Amino acid sequence: MKNPTQVLEERKDSILQKSFCSGNGRGISCEKESVSGSVSQRACVYCGARVVLNPITDAYHIVHGPIGCASYTWDIRGSLSSGSDLYRNSFSTDLRETDIVFGGEKKLSAAIDELMEKANPKPKVIFVYATCIVGVIGDDIEAVCRKAEEKYGVRVIPVKAPGFSGTKSLGYKLACNAIMQLIEPHRGEFPKVQGVNILGDFNLAGEMWIIKSYLERIGIPVVATITGDASVDQLIKAPSATLNIVQCAGSSTYLANLMEEQMGIPYIKVSFFGVEDTTSSLIRTAEALGNPEAIRKAKEFTAEESRKAIPFLEKYKPRLKGKKAAIYVGGGFKAISLIRQFNELGIETVVVGTQTGKKEDYEIIETLVNEDTVILDDANPAELEYFMTEKKADILVGGVKERPLAYKLGIAFCDHNHERKHALAGFEGIVNFTEEIDQSINSPVWQYLGER
Amino acid sequence: MGANLVNLNVNPCKMCMPMGAVTAFYGIKNCMSILHGSQGCATYIRRHMATHFNEPVDIASSSLTEQGTVFGGEKNLMKGLENLIELYNPDVIGIATTCLAETIGEDVEAYMKKFHETHPEERVKLINVASAGYGGTQYEGFFRALRAIVSQVEPKTEKNDYINIITPMISPADTRWLKSLLDETGLHYILLPDLSENLDGISVRKYERLKSGGTSLEEISRMAGARFTIEFSDFVSEDSSPAAYLKEQFGVDYARMGLPAGIRAMDRLYELLEFCGGTITARMKTERGRYLDAMVDAHKYCAEGRAAIFGEPDFVLSATRLCAENGIVPVLTTTGSVCHTFKEKLEGEVQNAANRAMAEHYEILDDCDFDTIEKYCKELNVNLMIGSSDGRRVSHKLDIPLIRCAFPIHDRVGGQRVRTIGFDGSLFLMETAANLFLEKKETTFRQESYEKYYKDSNAANPPTAKENSVMDIKQNTPDLLAKTVEEKNATHPCFNCGAAKSARIHLPVAPKCNIQCNYCVRKFDCPNESRPGVTTEVLSPEQAYKKYAVVKAKVPNLTVVGIAGPGDSLANFEETKKTLQLIREYDPNVTFCLSTNGLMLPLYAQELIDLGVSHVTVTMNTVDPEIGAKIYHHVNYMGKYYTGVAAASILLANQLSGLKYLCERGVVCKVNCVTLKGINDQHLEEVSKVAKELGVYIVNVMPHIPVEGSAFESLDTLSNKEINEIRKKCGVNIKQMYHCRQCRADAIGTLENDQSIEFRGCSGGCSTEKEEKEPMAMLRFAVASKSGILVDSHFGHVEEFYIYESDGETVSFVEKRSVKKYCSGNADCDDHDDRMESILNAVADCNGVIALRIGESPSRKLAAKGIAVYAMYDKIEEAVKSCAKKQSVLFSAAK
Repeated sequence: MKNPTQVLEERKDSILQKSFCSGNGRGISCEKESVSGSVSQRACVYCGARVVLNPITDAYHIVHGPIGCASYTWDIRGSLSSGSDLYRNSFSTDLRETDIVFGGEKKLSAAIDELMEKANPKPKVIFVYATCIVGVIGDDIEAVCRKAEEKYGVRVIPVKAPGFSGTKSLGYKLACNAIMQLIEPHRGEFPKVQGVNILGDFNLAGEMWIIKSYLERIGIPVVATITGDASVDQLIKAPSATLNIVQCAGSSTYLANLMEEQMGIPYIKVSFFGVEDTTSSLIRTAEALGNPEAIRKAKEFTAEESRKAIPFLEKYKPRLKGKKAAIYVGGGFKAISLIRQFNELGIETVVVGTQTGKKEDYEIIETLVNEDTVILDDANPAELEYFMTEKKADILVGGVKERPLAYKLGIAFCDHNHERKHALAGFEGIVNFTEEIDQSINSPVWQYLGER
Repeated sequence: MGANLVNLNVNPCKMCMPMGAVTAFYGIKNCMSILHGSQGCATYIRRHMATHFNEPVDIASSSLTEQGTVFGGEKNLMKGLENLIELYNPDVIGIATTCLAETIGEDVEAYMKKFHETHPEERVKLINVASAGYGGTQYEGFFRALRAIVSQVEPKTEKNDYINIITPMISPADTRWLKSLLDETGLHYILLPDLSENLDGISVRKYERLKSGGTSLEEISRMAGARFTIEFSDFVSEDSSPAAYLKEQFGVDYARMGLPAGIRAMDRLYELLEFCGGTITARMKTERGRYLDAMVDAHKYCAEGRAAIFGEPDFVLSATRLCAENGIVPVLTTTGSVCHTFKEKLEGEVQNAANRAMAEHYEILDDCDFDTIEKYCKELNVNLMIGSSDGRRVSHKLDIPLIRCAFPIHDRVGGQRVRTIGFDGSLFLMETAANLFLEKKETTFRQESYEKYYKDSNAANPPTAKENSVMDIKQNTPDLLAKTVEEKNATHPCFNCGAAKSARIHLPVAPKCNIQCNYCVRKFDCPNESRPGVTTEVLSPEQAYKKYAVVKAKVPNLTVVGIAGPGDSLANFEETKKTLQLIREYDPNVTFCLSTNGLMLPLYAQELIDLGVSHVTVTMNTVDPEIGAKIYHHVNYMGKYYTGVAAASILLANQLSGLKYLCERGVVCKVNCVTLKGINDQHLEEVSKVAKELGVYIVNVMPHIPVEGSAFESLDTLSNKEINEIRKKCGVNIKQMYHCRQCRADAIGTLENDQSIEFRGCSGGCSTEKEEKEPMAMLRFAVASKSGILVDSHFGHVEEFYIYESDGETVSFVEKRSVKKYCSGNADCDDHDDRMESILNAVADCNGVIALRIGESPSRKLAAKGIAVYAMYDKIEEAVKSCAKKQSVLFSAAK
């Protein structure tokens, strides 16, 4: 390789090795566009919007654009539904050469007409995503959606998410705006409930169900789940909740702020990853509602579950002691949770990076990790390879694209992505997480690979 | 386009051109590729390839932004190339355009020229391919890239003795097979592309991120001087065919054939290789013989096959040929691509196969999505799907097995080693198909034959489970036989009219259900055992136990505990079991009663007996799977989802064997039948006969209460008179229940007097005593936090405070305060001083402030207001507790 340090000049500010004097206040460079040719692991604006909205189970999601965008995002995520299965379908206008030349508005409009006339079940809401090309050929999807709404009296919400218009985080915001558009008109329609909305959990492998069951168990009603296992009927009741609790801060704090400003619903941030976070989040939610019965039950319940978790963790700790972890995930929230979960297991995090972390996320990460830990924003395979090897990581937590790289380097792997099929949240998740880490790290296969 | 929709593609059966282009570049030695467009395309494609090939897939993007889109992407592409070279130092860089670059009219060729001018020292070979996503699908992108490679690499025209071999996208394992076959013939050849190592690498000590397998530039340049070209594709267009290019430019003759799968294509390949001067070795001939032998062995099983084949045109045609040769009728052949010659090229093959098997209908479709494939799979009675893992949803929904043998395969390992060509690839595909038919036969023929032919009405032999998916029941000694039925029923109001004074409680601990009855809507209670339209609270076993204890104290005639939902008691067996155990500890005499749909009954029958359950009700609406198929939408059994007759058969078999087991061991069993007009109302006599044979004590013929939103919501109901007539008829066979109240899943009291309302919400203990709380002096803290979990914010940067109270022992959260709201000065609070003032306002009522760091000046200001300052990093709750302790010590010291 031409570059022995493996780090491109433009990328140097996005990598930081924690040291005694790294707290110079300058911090890491992040929230920037990806560097051309660096082989970023990031997806695009459209992806960000789709991640947040797609778990709404009974919505029609139309991808207005050429087929690729729809094809590569069709039913690849592990969000579960207790009701409709509609969201697992892909609807696309599948734009062709002629559409690019003559514009795609007509096709979109005809597509919506067809859905309204023929689709079963009848649409309750349609989200229309505009991808790169639509942004360039200048289709006025807002007008098309507005006309359709007037014609059919059904919500048709445009999500203008051309890939080039920013990063995945922008997509999150667009999705939050779309949700606001959906729920805002229903403000005041339902009587206030002394309950919560759960924001920023996507019910991967049933995680929303776990969190919801905890809250209900301690006597806190859950009004809307946003967006894991959400339905339109449930979402529009969201304004009647008393409190929002925000799990994946990166994607949903923006929505929580909008709801606080426009609907007067305060929010708190929570995390249901790991024993400590799950415990304090449940108690805090009860406290925020000022519900003494719920506080008592939350304390009882978490004490009981923690009591059960401790011997379980103790059993695994000796098997994991002294291991080193690398983390490369989508957002800062997840990275922070993971570092803390690894701490609970006695595993040190030596490399940590995110695709879309924010400055404050990185500040927290820096305070959480030991000296010499490498922190990366928007890393590429070359950097991951170099630093994981240099830091002698034993396990990587990441997404599917990173998995084969870890394996090639002889490093164990934990799937912490939207495609996973096992829940990692709550007390159940602690068991799954620990078992997965153990199963990979302590697999017999590594011993046959030889010294590296 | 969709089956029903012309303007929408519903579930795509295709990918885009850039996908094909970068896959082709992966077959070139020391090559990297960059997608000229926005960031997402590269990432999606990498993700797709990485899960299929289980290999690291590095594809760069020029990461076009808004600016690049408006002013052109030259700068981005230049930078991208430089960075790619710095990180990977490749010999070749493939530049594939995306929708975006093509639409904004990027002149990549000009950029390449400029790059060489500005980087004279760079020896890297740049190859560009125009591959707008909307211009075609992956196979077209693949060939376009190959054509670009062949036409942009400097040719060496001097004649050599090599044969060019050009393939469409085939798996690395298939590529390795092809290479070894060619080696065996003794021919010298150049294979383009060669994915065999690059997308199926081995485990090595030192990972190389640049892939050094694949066709080298040197080899590619020599293709111009080769003796002959064999191009494996039926569908490549002339203008993207590398073979056609080599012929036009350098006069290299070529032959084109489809992928070498199946006997005819392999014969053609051997012929061509021989024509080129290769040796067909004895081993190669033996392989052919062995394949023929296998075809004969499997032909009768293959004859059952009605296949749906989907994917790229070349793959579909070769798999179609293979199926046709083996007697599997390819009734549905489809591709997602727009391909005008598709039908024409497949028709003869398909028609022949259909005629031979006397199959009348088949469909050959291009530009097809999975919505359409699903529709025709149903209509054409498809029993095998062949293609990529994208067919998994249709496969699952329609319960048709899917052979995953084309890109992409996301839900299995080993996609890189799928074999479909050559004799052994053909053998694998054919035998996998045959074995699926065999497996199907093996698992269903007992039940099917039984249903079709078994007509014995002799009561001595009640029907038993025939299908092998039905569980064997654990054998154990019965212990309920000692008592008479009358004794067991003495205090059970549902089983004994005389016991109407006895009260029962239904504990709603079982929310989940494992079947879907068409008369039931899950969000309401199960109408079988409860009035519809009223949702119950679901209790945990502990709550249920507490509720029982509270009710028992107030209703002394409570003699029966029942578990009746709201879902199915055995679909929630752990909860059911725990509940019964807890109550049994408390009350050794209470009668346990349980109702279920019977699906899991064989598995838990003995455990129920061990738990002391003496009464079981099974809702068995039919003893005919054909009728059952109309009543049950689906059954979820042992992690598998069944529909139709299969679902009904499993349910029935388990109901029968479960009931038989319980009855033989003295459990008093009741069968409930929901009478569904026009579906089972004429059939209930039959049900009661079977019930009698099994040893069931009583049958309860119940009217159907239509539930809004259920499949049977508008089904006519029967009058009471009609119901009673049915009961009378059934009564000839078995005792009938006339006093059923169709109780709620949380019913409490006697049948005449439901008291459940009185005890609503009593679950977690109904203590009325107020918890005593000593008023304590609480200290209030404002915590600067971003995460909401940790003290992680600088005081000066804080946007929100988490307000807590603590006495040093307990810690409780009060509220979250946004600093913005405390802004008294200008509207945005941009100004530093205004900001600081609003921060100070926000914490004015607190005893202390906890932040990660805090400056000198705010510290002083806070101190002046009597607010203590703590700088630390910790979990919020821990931090508050420790600060409260410190502060109370200070307080008491001050006092």
